[in-house]
Amino acid sequence: MPADQTIAVHLIQKVANQDRDAFSQLYDRFSSLVFTLAMRMLKVRSDAEDLLQEVFVQIWRQAQSYSVQRGSPEAWIVNIARSRAIDKIRSIRRMERSFVLTDDPARAESSDNVESSAAESEARMAMNSALANLPETQRKVLELAYFDGLTQTEIANRLAEPLGTIKTRMRSGIQRLRDMLGAQAV
Amino acid sequence: MATGHEHWHERGEIYALGALDGQELKEFEAHLASGCAICEAYVRETREALLLLHRSITPMTPSPSIKTRLFDHIPSDKVAPLRPKSAWRRWPIITGTLAAGIVGAILSGTLITQRYEPRHSMYSAIIELLRDPSTRDLPLYGAGPTPKATGRFLWNESGEGHIFVTNLPAAPEGKMYAVWTIAQRSAPRYVGTIKTDAAGQGGLHINVARSDQPVETFAVTLEPVGMTAGPTGPMVLVSKPT
Repeated sequence: MPADQTIAVHLIQKVANQDRDAFSQLYDRFSSLVFTLAMRMLKVRSDAEDLLQEVFVQIWRQAQSYSVQRGSPEAWIVNIARSRAIDKIRSIRRMERSFVLTDDPARAESSDNVESSAAESEARMAMNSALANLPETQRKVLELAYFDGLTQTEIANRLAEPLGTIKTRMRSGIQRLRDMLGAQAV
Repeated sequence: MATGHEHWHERGEIYALGALDGQELKEFEAHLASGCAICEAYVRETREALLLLHRSITPMTPSPSIKTRLFDHIPSDKVAPLRPKSAWRRWPIITGTLAAGIVGAILSGTLITQRYEPRHSMYSAIIELLRDPSTRDLPLYGAGPTPKATGRFLWNESGEGHIFVTNLPAAPEGKMYAVWTIAQRSAPRYVGTIKTDAAGQGGLHINVARSDQPVETFAVTLEPVGMTAGPTGPMVLVSKPT
């Protein structure tokens, strides 16, 4: 296990014993990671800040449930953040469908903004990043799922492609990521 | 890797991505719940690989005030360490007796303070809200399972507000009434849980951080206890007629 991962595991174990100093250090290590992900997924700063706070409150309360067998600290924390962000994204969609000014052009624009935001993030990517090394079709489906919380069926509908095609692209993209991760580990 | 699992691995990858849905999701969750260690490990490995995705984004730093706010929310649950036993161990008995006497003397005053002071503070806060010309006063309309419920929402963009409800029956066992503010282009924001009495009346004072966008809709939904990430249940009150 890499040294920084060992330190993070140790901090989580101390947080499980309600150690506020360890919690502060854990926050300093991972808050930028969670906030960056939250901004990419929710797109509104105040929502991302709320999510950041909620994620760390959950970490404080559930640190004792973490074990190395559940994955790296980073994967565990990111999984908490993504789950909560996806809940929020999906609740926005439910609200839009049910009662929130569905004919409001500003909101309609925001829900259509997904691809333009993806394009912005693409522009910010470092040239050697994992996303930049994926073919366009694979990157797009992974981004729509990972950052925008769309399910395979929703992506198929949005891109007007057969579900089987979407699944294949997702799996190919994930396989490439696995290969990249393997290459990094060597 | 064991054979016969390719079928599950296909689903496991999409599950780890969070994109599996419908019947496939139910089947895969049931498969995981059956205790398949191979698939559990495969999902875990896939999640590690997916970490490469967010590492591709330019990192952003949150405002330092978030950490301060977070630590304000974290209770100091640590139990004070026990003092070591010593020759002074009788002192607690003596001081305890004295303390009991003092407590007895001030008990009634304390009870009065505990009972009435919070209420007085809340009334003062509501008056201050009403005094502020920028505070909005919005009617709430019954919806879904509680069409007869009504309410009012006082809201100031500073993040302070108060909700009053009437004719809202107590939440069933295992459920709660979650209060949400919804700003344009934002996710519904959980701002508290409101309880109602036998007469269906209740109130909640709200004090949260200011939102970037002005709140345009206020709502109360019936949620499973603890669900604060986003509304999932039926809406029982809303600030605009549906």
